[in-house]
Amino acid sequence: MSNRSYSASKFARHWLRLAGWLALAGLLISCEQPQTPTGPVELESRYNDEQPALSGNGRFLAFVSNREGTRSILLYDLRDKRYVMLPRLNRRDAIAESPSLSYTGRYIAYVASDSARPEIELYDRATQHTQILTIGYRGWFRNPKISPDGRYLVFETGSRGQWDIEVLDRGAGIELDIPDYQRNRANPGASPP
Amino acid sequence: MQRQLKWLGWLFTCSSLLMGCAGPRLLSFPYDPAGRGLNSQFAEQNPAIAGRYIVFTSDRRNSQDVYLYDTVTRNLVEMPGLNAIDMIEANPSISDNGRYIVFAGSREGRTSIYLYDRDTRQLRNLTENLRAPVRNPTISADGNAIAFESGANGQWDILIYNRLGQPIGNITGR
Repeated sequence: MSNRSYSASKFARHWLRLAGWLALAGLLISCEQPQTPTGPVELESRYNDEQPALSGNGRFLAFVSNREGTRSILLYDLRDKRYVMLPRLNRRDAIAESPSLSYTGRYIAYVASDSARPEIELYDRATQHTQILTIGYRGWFRNPKISPDGRYLVFETGSRGQWDIEVLDRGAGIELDIPDYQRNRANPGASPP
Repeated sequence: MQRQLKWLGWLFTCSSLLMGCAGPRLLSFPYDPAGRGLNSQFAEQNPAIAGRYIVFTSDRRNSQDVYLYDTVTRNLVEMPGLNAIDMIEANPSISDNGRYIVFAGSREGRTSIYLYDRDTRQLRNLTENLRAPVRNPTISADGNAIAFESGANGQWDILIYNRLGQPIGNITGR
């Protein structure tokens, strides 16, 4: 009789221990829960995305990424959650870096480096045409930023032996990229009237 | 009538020719050795332009600070409370109306993204709760979105916040 009661208490103790372990495991799991990141963390975290630039209206994001297998400039539509094609911007023989966007993302200014000096180029999404802006100028250039209306560019130049700021005016004849057009047009990539 | 038309034709071709000639040209802003202009005898870096303002960093006062240049009045604009003695400011960016300035500030070995409001003269740390290295901030011209790089996952990812420091978007897919 005493033997049986002893084994019963042993049995109970065994279960108690098991329950204790389970409770501990549960505590651990519940402790681990809040540690998972809650922010907008990338699901596909294999890629390096750098040098973000927002369009003036906040809809488009241009950045440098290795998503395409090479280092290139990509344009992402944050509203429609899709990539926008940039035909003829990224060339096979050059590295395109430091993008910057105008108000609706029509103009993209960036630095293109091939074999020679890095040049500041301007890509027009309406015409899919690339223009080299620093041809004929002396010195070394980096970090260009375009004004939201697309007319002016600021960048660093090393022509005076240190980094100084230069302002480039594309001229009064260009088509400006301003918010008024966005209200009248369905497609921001189309050329303004 | 025909003469008038001819005239108009001439005017049109002349003006279009002139427009074609007026390609990109560099603007000259006064160089001031005393450090009150856009360029000084020290380095100026990371300029950004929006509306009438150019924001940039310069080490003209023996520390790297953010400066704001008004291209209309051709003067530097004071920004009380933005530059701190114990902070290195970098990569500034400004909204179209000139009210909001975003930059990366390093203090005691930790870099955060800061938003400065020129109207209220308030400085806000947007990434106080983000335990990750951050860099290269930029603000949209309308002032509603701020994008920057975060190294939380062992590589650089791009996060987009609003002015209150809340996440509002990210890149998905591909």
